Amino acid sequence: MPVLNGRELRIVGFLCNWCSYGGADTAGVARFDQPTDLRVIRVPCSGRIDPLFIAKAFMNGADGVLVSGCHPRDCHYAEGNYYARRRLEVFKQFISVLGIEPERFEYTWVSASEGQRWQEVVTKFTNQVHTLGPLAPIPEVALSQLAQTTGTDIREEA
Amino acid sequence: MLDKLKESIKAALPELDFVMGWGMGYDPLHATPLYMYEPEDVDNLVWGPLNVHNLAVHLPSLKGKKVGIVVKGCDSRSVVELLQEGLINREDVVIFGAPCNGIVDMSKIRKAVPDAHFVHSVETDDNGLTITTDKDTHKLSLAEVMADKCTRCRFPNAVVADHFVGEKREPTVENDAYEDLESFESQGFEERRDFWMTEMDRCIRCYACRNACPLCVCRDHCVAQSRNPHWVSQRDGVRDKFMFQIIHAMHMAGRCTECGECERACPMDIPVLLLKRKLGTVIHDLFDYDSGLDAEARPPLLAFKLEEESIKEKDW
Amino acid sequence: MRIGVFICHCGSNIEGTVDTAEVSRIARDYPEVAFATDTMYACSEPGQDGIIEAIGEHKLDGVVVASCTPRMHEATFRNTLERAGLNPYMFEMANIREHVSWIGKDREANTNKAADLVRMAVEKLRRNQPLIAKEFDINRRVLVIGGGVAGIQAALDCADAGLEVVMVERESTIGGKMAKLDKTFPTVDCSSCILGPRMVEIAQHPNITLYACSEVDGVSGYVGNFSVKIKKKARYVDWDKCTGCGECVEKCPSRKAPNTFDEKIGPGRAINIPFPQAIPKKATINAEYCIKLTKGKCGTCEKICPSNAIDFQQQDEIITEEVGAVVAATGYDLFDWTVYEEYGGGRYPDVITSLQYERLLSASGPTGGHVKRPSDGKEPKNVVFIQCVGSRDKSVGRPYCSGFCCMYTAKQAILTKDHIPDSTSYVFYMDIRAPGKLYDEFTRRAMEEYGAQYIRGRVAMVYPDGKGNMIVRGADTLMGRQVEVQADLVVLAVGVESAKNSPQLAEKLRISYDSYGFFMEGHPKLKPCETNTAGVYLAGACQGPKDIPASVAQGSAAASKVIGLFSKEKLKSDPQTANVDIKRCIGCGKCVLTCPFGAIKEVDFRGQPKAEVIETVCQGCGICSSTCPQGAIQLRHFTDNQILAEVEAICRF
Ligand SMILES: Cc1cc2nc3c(=O)[nH]c(=O)nc-3n(C[C@H](O)[C@H](O)[C@H](O)COP(=O)(O)OP(=O)(O)OC[C@H]3O[C@@H](n4cnc5c(N)ncnc54)[C@H](O)[C@@H]3O)c2cc1C
Ligand code: SF4
Ligand code: SF4
Ligand code: SF4
Ligand code: SF4
Ligand code: SF4
Repeated sequence: MPVLNGRELRIVGFLCNWCSYGGADTAGVARFDQPTDLRVIRVPCSGRIDPLFIAKAFMNGADGVLVSGCHPRDCHYAEGNYYARRRLEVFKQFISVLGIEPERFEYTWVSASEGQRWQEVVTKFTNQVHTLGPLAPIPEVALSQLAQTTGTDIREEA
Repeated sequence: MLDKLKESIKAALPELDFVMGWGMGYDPLHATPLYMYEPEDVDNLVWGPLNVHNLAVHLPSLKGKKVGIVVKGCDSRSVVELLQEGLINREDVVIFGAPCNGIVDMSKIRKAVPDAHFVHSVETDDNGLTITTDKDTHKLSLAEVMADKCTRCRFPNAVVADHFVGEKREPTVENDAYEDLESFESQGFEERRDFWMTEMDRCIRCYACRNACPLCVCRDHCVAQSRNPHWVSQRDGVRDKFMFQIIHAMHMAGRCTECGECERACPMDIPVLLLKRKLGTVIHDLFDYDSGLDAEARPPLLAFKLEEESIKEKDW
Repeated sequence: MRIGVFICHCGSNIEGTVDTAEVSRIARDYPEVAFATDTMYACSEPGQDGIIEAIGEHKLDGVVVASCTPRMHEATFRNTLERAGLNPYMFEMANIREHVSWIGKDREANTNKAADLVRMAVEKLRRNQPLIAKEFDINRRVLVIGGGVAGIQAALDCADAGLEVVMVERESTIGGKMAKLDKTFPTVDCSSCILGPRMVEIAQHPNITLYACSEVDGVSGYVGNFSVKIKKKARYVDWDKCTGCGECVEKCPSRKAPNTFDEKIGPGRAINIPFPQAIPKKATINAEYCIKLTKGKCGTCEKICPSNAIDFQQQDEIITEEVGAVVAATGYDLFDWTVYEEYGGGRYPDVITSLQYERLLSASGPTGGHVKRPSDGKEPKNVVFIQCVGSRDKSVGRPYCSGFCCMYTAKQAILTKDHIPDSTSYVFYMDIRAPGKLYDEFTRRAMEEYGAQYIRGRVAMVYPDGKGNMIVRGADTLMGRQVEVQADLVVLAVGVESAKNSPQLAEKLRISYDSYGFFMEGHPKLKPCETNTAGVYLAGACQGPKDIPASVAQGSAAASKVIGLFSKEKLKSDPQTANVDIKRCIGCGKCVLTCPFGAIKEVDFRGQPKAEVIETVCQGCGICSSTCPQGAIQLRHFTDNQILAEVEAICRF
């Protein structure tokens, strides 16, 4: 699907059910205006988020990925966000070697009562991704085939 | 030293099903894994810069048997890692170690010796090797053809060994400066992405990288070839191949010892180790942790602290 | 699969900014969608009937509803499916209200986004499996934390319904704040006369075990089967032997100890019984002030105690209680008002808190119910009340209203007149909030019958006039002028904050709390006494400021929730648990290491170690799933494939 005539970028959110998804709901109930780019995937816990889901999103053409969970110490499952914090931090630092700007990925903590904070996070993150612009998806096909359809071959440029 | 090594293997052999080491392969330039069941087999053992394989890769499938294994410094870290993950039992493996001077990188040799297909004989000593082909004799210094990982080796002596022969060697370096990574990352993001796209485009999906990895213990159940979960498709495109390399790297985060087997095994010479080295340095910096040194340690991604001093979270 | 998609208008809540008909048109082209329509109110009876009808008519075996948040109505629609004969887990929701229509006005963008969210839900649903809940036994005992009026009510209601109750109270007596009050609004009846008998009931009820001077140390387990570690703090008196005669208190030479029950305005002792009606009525030694425990000398109480109850060797003790549900009723504490320099920052003895004033008014208080001001014991003639000290004040980080201060200030003004007929009360207020039954009438009475002078405005400064009295200077915003009142006593209606260490307790209970430490209810309207953790309920001011009637009502409500929970034969566990594919598992034990609930054990399968999930223990967090490299352990309904399908549904190029 074209990203709304170039007005939107593709931003994927992974939110834990108990805190951040609730926080996003709270923001909704309070009618806090937000940019429309973000699409939210609900998971039980930030600890459920395998960083490879994020990698997959980038491979498939996401321009930004936002993860949000319960604040440390508040995890509904006691420890999930502690594991998540380590995995996500490692992943954030890792992606620069892949050629993905680390700023395209952020993780944070928003509680169910923090509707305002959620609005702020979404707005700032969306702006941050727009500043970077779109990220070309990794081609689904071989480069030779891609060259036939697009007329440019990255292999020669590189 | 080789003799001492043989002696100690022979002495231990009666208690063991067999001992793994290296012997000469299809030509004098290529060593091959050697399984020593009888004392006579031990006489075929070789030790030197041609012992490129990390034999630890075979250990998990031998769980339950009592086996011996000869290790270089780097190999020994894989053994430690397997012990830590409970994939082998300490009582069931006897580890033979010796100081390692570095091993060769066959790709570099192939470049230096164009006629390396027809090797008659190879002489090795501490500083280099002399390769005689049917046309020519090539004298190569070890430094010229040494594997990159050996140029930054911190553990030339086995970090764990039941029998260590020879005199412990000083490490080549005290700290790995990750210069390769630094120079790669001095490029812009787009160049890096294009680099990987062209490299991944060449991948033939043989999975030699994974099969050579001593820590890719899932093997038949690797997510690369499963439908449930279905992480990558079988499409011959850049995306799925790149995704697989990211998966391999991330599955190794906090576990990979940078033994370099993945890159060595790759028939297409794709520098896949770089991805793992990136994770290695990130984890080292964040958690002050190096894998494959302590079998009792709790690996950093399976642990946490309530307050993480080294993680600076974004301030919104 | 034949999927039905229902796009809800929610009146104009969604339809106002999302073209629901267009979304349903787009959805018809999604894979395996057999039917799609928009509907006025999906959750209403006709809405649900419409879904049931469509399931029959179009032979649907899976349903997507795009409407409000699943946190609101997921359970509703699962029920609908069940009534239509489908497995309730063949259902997914797309949140196009809170996450779309309510947060943006751009109809085109919203419609497009809603269609994306529906596609995600469809793709996820295509990979759902029918699930069946497992049943397990309930331990029909309940833990009540906090013995204020709310906790007392919850405990008695549960105990009367035949449940065993364990009550844990941090202080050495139950009763909470209400025990300290003199009279209560709006009826001005005696607080201890109505609370006292209920406290006695707690002590005497055969179904209630009370641990006073104790705190919850840790909680493990899950709804129906919690295991609670309780720390009985050392009190240095053997309570089995102590008869509460109080001789020790009389003789204790350490007189500097703060009398916390009297809010530190009365004389204290190192060994103390808080008040005559205390439950349990037992002596407790304050180790910080006890001469024997600090200096090794004294031991007067030990010598004098007729029942030999003193035990200087006593240690903290941990005991474990098994319960099936928990009611948190830990109440509130008062804001530390000394940050207000303009009121003297705590330096003037005749500027006191409202709760201290309750003690001065109370017949069981330090002055025997004769109002005497702390500095010189003089009876005050002019009493100035200042409201909203630490309430509705952003500058001290307390923007919220404490709810009951307007009312008790009016009460205290009335009581002042009762005690000292020739006195005058002045009340500085911001607004009067008296919305309860008979409440507004009550504040009017204070003004009209008792002559309390209400002055609308903030107080700028309180300072001594040098002749032993205080001057209160403030603005009268109604008259638009400065006022100065000479006061013999100043009473601050200090704001309410969450009880000390509430966040720590919330973490142990795995419930959420807001930025002020008040516990979060399950839903602000529909689940006011539940939490988001099954089996944990809230009562009283721990959830937010509340007066006594509201606290009692919530105590009863929490009890009825517990009784309802326990009335079930067995509990059903959420079947969205992790599950090991035994072929793929290599028994590396990484999942066992990271599961926070110990829900995974290692088993032997034909000589190979394998992981196995204990389904009733698994809480469905999915930490294991993202730990296992080869994806051998998958969280049902949040499998790798489902999340990947959602990712692919929104990132399609
Ligand atoms: C000056 C003043 C006058 C008031 N007058 C009136 C009035 O006239 N009428 C009226 O309706 N309301 C009045 N109120 C309000 C009234 O005090 C509250 O509505 C009521 O006390 C709330 O009851 P509760 O049980 O929720 O909390 P609390 O009374 O605070 O009881 C909580 C209990 O839990 C215990 N606890 C706290 N933390 C823990 C822990 N971690 N572990 C174990 N135990 C713990 C505490 O020690 C306490 O016993 C007044 C309040 C004040 C300040
Ligand atoms: S990923 Fe490569 S370098 Fe790391 S352990 Fe495996 S083979 Fe060795
Ligand atoms: S890449 Fe991952 S899943 Fe595949 S074998 Fe290696 S660790 Fe296992
Ligand atoms: S060994 Fe090389 S070619 Fe083979 S799958 Fe790995 S990266 Fe691709
Ligand atoms: S992490 Fe995976 S492979 Fe390891 S024991 Fe658990 S389920 Fe099995
Ligand atoms: S989902 Fe996994 S980690 Fe979470 S409770 Fe269940 S078994 Fe444990």
